[in-house]
Amino acid sequence: MRRREFLKLSAAGGAALVVGFRIDAEPSSFQPNGWVRIEPGGKIVLTVGKQEMGQGVRTSLPMILADELDADWQSIELLQAEPSPQFQRLGTGGSGSVYGSWKPLRTAGAAARTMLIGAAAAKWNVDAASLRTEKGFVINTKTNERLSYGALASDAAKQPVPAEPKLKAMSELRIVGQRVKKVDAPDVVSGKAIYGIDARMPGMLYASIERPPTVGGTLVKFDATKAMKVRGVRSVVAIKAGVAVVAENSWAAMKGREALAITWEPGPNRAFNSDAHIKALEAAASEPGVTIRKEGEGAAALARAAKTIEARYHYPFYAHAPVEPMNCVASFRDGTCELRVPTQAPNRAQQLVAEFLGIKPENVIVHPTLIGGGFGRRLWIDYAIEAAELSRAIANPVQVLWTRQDDMRHGHFQAASVHQLRAAFDENNAPLFWGHKKVSSYHNLRGAPTAQERADVEYNQDSAWGVYDVPYAFPSIEATYLSIDVPVPIGPWRAVFSPSSTFARECFVDEVAQHLGKDPLQSRLDMLGEPYDITAGSLKIDRTRLRRVLEVVREKSKWGSPLAQGRGRGVACNVYDGDTHIAYVVEVTAHENSVRVDRVVAAVDCGVVINPTGIEQQIEGGIIWGLSSALKGHITFRDGHAEQSTYRDFEVLRMNETPAIEIHIVPSHGEQPFGMGEPPVPPIVPAVVNAIFAATGKRIRALPIRL
Amino acid sequence: MRYSITINGSAKSVDVAPDMPLLWILRDVLGMTGTKFGCGVGVCGACTVLQNGEAVRSCQIAASDANGKRFTTIEGLSRDASHPCQRAWIAEDVAQCGYCQAGMIMTACALLRDKPNPSDADIDAVMSDLVCRCGTYPRIRKAIHLAAKLGAQK
Ligand code: FES
Ligand code: FES
Repeated sequence: MRRREFLKLSAAGGAALVVGFRIDAEPSSFQPNGWVRIEPGGKIVLTVGKQEMGQGVRTSLPMILADELDADWQSIELLQAEPSPQFQRLGTGGSGSVYGSWKPLRTAGAAARTMLIGAAAAKWNVDAASLRTEKGFVINTKTNERLSYGALASDAAKQPVPAEPKLKAMSELRIVGQRVKKVDAPDVVSGKAIYGIDARMPGMLYASIERPPTVGGTLVKFDATKAMKVRGVRSVVAIKAGVAVVAENSWAAMKGREALAITWEPGPNRAFNSDAHIKALEAAASEPGVTIRKEGEGAAALARAAKTIEARYHYPFYAHAPVEPMNCVASFRDGTCELRVPTQAPNRAQQLVAEFLGIKPENVIVHPTLIGGGFGRRLWIDYAIEAAELSRAIANPVQVLWTRQDDMRHGHFQAASVHQLRAAFDENNAPLFWGHKKVSSYHNLRGAPTAQERADVEYNQDSAWGVYDVPYAFPSIEATYLSIDVPVPIGPWRAVFSPSSTFARECFVDEVAQHLGKDPLQSRLDMLGEPYDITAGSLKIDRTRLRRVLEVVREKSKWGSPLAQGRGRGVACNVYDGDTHIAYVVEVTAHENSVRVDRVVAAVDCGVVINPTGIEQQIEGGIIWGLSSALKGHITFRDGHAEQSTYRDFEVLRMNETPAIEIHIVPSHGEQPFGMGEPPVPPIVPAVVNAIFAATGKRIRALPIRL
Repeated sequence: MRYSITINGSAKSVDVAPDMPLLWILRDVLGMTGTKFGCGVGVCGACTVLQNGEAVRSCQIAASDANGKRFTTIEGLSRDASHPCQRAWIAEDVAQCGYCQAGMIMTACALLRDKPNPSDADIDAVMSDLVCRCGTYPRIRKAIHLAAKLGAQK
């Protein structure tokens, strides 16, 4: 899951100074996909393909640029790139927005600044070294003469683009690290922010789609007579996704939909049910899988074991349930399709909609909107394809809006998994072996993987994320993965493959501590000794950073201090994708059959901090997301469909269940900011489970937690 | 049927089906998209507006019931984001994706009208009926305390 970062600068002339750069590129492609533009009027515009979906990129990216450029970050206008041949690989996911933009943005800022200085030096006929920059001006240090960036822009555009502009030292950065407020807050609190659901086009109609009640079901016939009588309904059209009712407003479309009489063929998955699927996962747990990581002798070390402990962990299906349901406005006209869509993947939307319609990608124009919660759901573009198809069918602009029930039942899901954990010890009770086998299901949104992919270690490694990158020292380790195909759509969810694996791993590490008769936090530290830099699969892990966050939560939580009867403390930690290091200590109160999470103390090392508020928000949000998965709703399937349909039966955490959260951002020796959207999620669940053990002596090995 | 509904002080006359919820009248008929759709069944609170200062879920109010009544939506709180709740929401950096926040703010307004100085327990009792999937609850709580202070100074 490593993200790449490549950089190539270019300048486009004209009256404005334009410096192009590239984020997240393939090494073969150096087409810029981001631009810094300084206009003669002084306006600075940054164009990038990163969607705002709550993670604060509209604030943090201008901050990074402004620091190198020496400009006022609040004056930088951020424009959302729309996909085109010039703007490929736009995308927001994998917590990579800030990580992947850091170096390109700084370099582009430094290049622009160098060119502005060059232009001023030529104008004043002085040595560039005698000039400095400050808040949008080039200043002659001898004469104190000043020229604004705007005034220099057109001359600067003629300066050579520096091949490797010198970046500021970390100690010279002034804006990065400041606590600032998000730029779009005033619009959000006034109801002016435009999300996908708020997008409109002239003459637009509204549609709601009745979908097959079973996954993979197909339409036999429908009768629209009653639906057409509903006031405001204009037409009823069968499309690939189901039967679409098109109306003058969303309400009429939904009412019309209720009035449809449809016969469905339930299809091959009519009997799919999650209990049977989980049994299949369990049965597979004793089959050999694909070995992802083997250290020492691997499982062969078991032959020498004096004592072995073993446990099986269960992780269920989950939905994303963002508060803004899926939606898309599409207008198909004269072979061109225009989309207004809340997507994390505008290029994919362009590509797949074009493929579906059989037109060229450049004839699909994608305008990404604000997103009312992404969480991986909006990396897939099913809702854009159906809107495009429907617009073409009715020859009119249309908004397709999913209901909450559609959203819970017809999206993709986080896969269920079963984890077989094993640890072995020698006759002196010294750790000998760690084994973790994960049985789950491959992502299948693009279809099931090929036989070749199934056998490929690297392909399996992604799915076994959190399994193979166990940071702890065992002389022998074996991490394996096995997939059982599942007919329901499986795809990215916040923190992807990591939450299930980290839950099982961090809970079982507690079981190891218990076996050793050690304190669970100290036991982790003991297993994070030298060598401090290890390689786990394709990831490098720096144990000193993980130790550091553990030490911080130990101190800040007053770990070890007495707690009242019925209360307990638990710890868990994780290195996310080799990058972001987080440790949590959780305090719970466990009653007869209920558990309350009272307090969470978090320590994070996420490299360079751009805006501490942004990081704290993501940690709070990630904790609450994780607690929902630990304590609240999950998805079950019966007769080929998900059984849940609203926040009533797929519950999420509410304010009265939210613990006190205390966040410590640990000073980092990293020179790079790491992602924060996903990393806070995985370790929170095991910390809660471990706290419940401390409070009650009960080991919870299945989610969601039911005491 | 024609209904007359007052939104943010201005009288609107709409010709819609009697069962059409106020939410869709606002969004699709009047073009006021600040009020959000989250569930349509009264469980998320994203669609909350004020009726005579009280928080109501606009997805649950049919046109025929809204007829002749006065409502305030997020667009009507202030012209310039200067309402104490809006200021507090900005100051505490509440929003992540922001989608649920109109409903949160409108609910908070009603709470503060009834209890100008709410305790954490008062806040939890009311706000736990709303869903924020981004997990902004701790900041919402802080913002409501701050709004209480800002409101008192006004
Ligand atoms: S949309 Fe009205 S309560 Fe959810
Ligand atoms: S801020 Fe995103 S749902 Fe509340």
